[in-house]
Amino acid sequence: MDENVRPARRSDIIWRHEARREQELLEAQERGEDISDRGTVILVAGGTMHQLNLLGGEIWRRCDGNTTVARIVSDLAGEYDVDPAEIDRDVREFIEDLNQRGWISYE
Amino acid sequence: MNDTNEGLLSAPLTFNWTLSYRCNFSCSHCYSREEQAEELTTDRICLIVDILADKKVPFVNFGGGEPLIREDLFDIASYASSRGLNVSMNSNGWLIDADAAARLRQSGFQSVGISIDSAEARLHDDFRCMPGSWQRAVAALDHVRGAGIRLTMSSVISRINFRNFRDLIALARDHGVQTLYLHNFKCSGRGFKNREDLDLSPEEWKAFYVEALEVKNSLSDLTLSFDDPVIASLPGYDADPMVKGSSCGKLSLHLRPNGDITPCGFIPLVVGNILAQDFDDIWYNSPVLLKMRHKEAKGKCAGCAAYGDCLGGCTARAFATTGDFSQPDPHCWK
Ligand code: SF4
Repeated sequence: MDENVRPARRSDIIWRHEARREQELLEAQERGEDISDRGTVILVAGGTMHQLNLLGGEIWRRCDGNTTVARIVSDLAGEYDVDPAEIDRDVREFIEDLNQRGWISYE
Repeated sequence: MNDTNEGLLSAPLTFNWTLSYRCNFSCSHCYSREEQAEELTTDRICLIVDILADKKVPFVNFGGGEPLIREDLFDIASYASSRGLNVSMNSNGWLIDADAAARLRQSGFQSVGISIDSAEARLHDDFRCMPGSWQRAVAALDHVRGAGIRLTMSSVISRINFRNFRDLIALARDHGVQTLYLHNFKCSGRGFKNREDLDLSPEEWKAFYVEALEVKNSLSDLTLSFDDPVIASLPGYDADPMVKGSSCGKLSLHLRPNGDITPCGFIPLVVGNILAQDFDDIWYNSPVLLKMRHKEAKGKCAGCAAYGDCLGGCTARAFATTGDFSQPDPHCWK
């Protein structure tokens, strides 16, 4: 995937950022709890409800059609204290998965 | 804010909204025919829409009563859509001709559901005490689909149709329905009074759900939806819903015609009024909602292996029959 691609959420997908839950998850993460299957973005696609976890939610919120993949990676690398190569791989994999599901397009 | 609300969403995802209890029908299973409430003006209703939009509630579903009894339904829906809400409704179909369907589409309805209780015209008409209603409901299915609106169909499972639910599926498929809701019978309003004649025994519910889940998993062109937490202990059940147990008070709330909020249309406990009180305060702090979100396993639920997924089944049914949210769902066969 070219790093200048700008992922754009499909307009018919209904979603909501759960700021309060996100705060709870950040606190749980601080305490060392596993939060990988707890959602911060609720999304309804094709009549089915899904939840995106902390990192997934951060990526999804940036899929606005204006932000490049490179920018998403650098934003998140600044936020998370993990190996930048790992973030790069996770972001790309996640975006590709969103694309496969038809929830975003590439601008 | 109450910290027992950990994991709770910032607002419901759906408001089921009874704009009016008035109806042109008088059905035997109706939960709302005995209810009365003052109705709000269009302006006051639009104020509620503003609150829902501010809280980012994505879905509002108009029910009733018959939503089309209110002549301003189209204006209300247009306004709600313009504020970003996804609007749907459930109707008995009587008032939906091709023109009405086109107006529904223009006013932004994303989805319209028609209630049909039997694939046999006579049974449906008797049940709804309205000769000719089946014919008009089936015609409404075609009008809604013809207008390009997502079409759903709702059937309350009761003694009149549980053995023949496959016929309802066939009817839905013939008319291009996308989702068929097989609603579980609720013991509220007339449904409570007529319960002896209409409700199934727990064993019959089990047999129905075992078969219906099998059919659901074999369908590719039609979605079957049950929304009944008591099925959590059955094979073939999707074990990973967004919340366990009843979704009322967790993912959804119900609005009465006067702006009073109840956990769902089947629990007659007012937790606040959306125009008179702060919504967050109701959502996070209502003692009734807190109690529903934190049920305790009582009676046979204590020690039941399914409790973690089922949470005692349908809270509305438990409350209607025992006055206690935490008692086992009377439909439970365990
Ligand atoms: S006993 Fe209670 S927890 Fe167990 S399946 Fe029945 S209602 Fe659900």
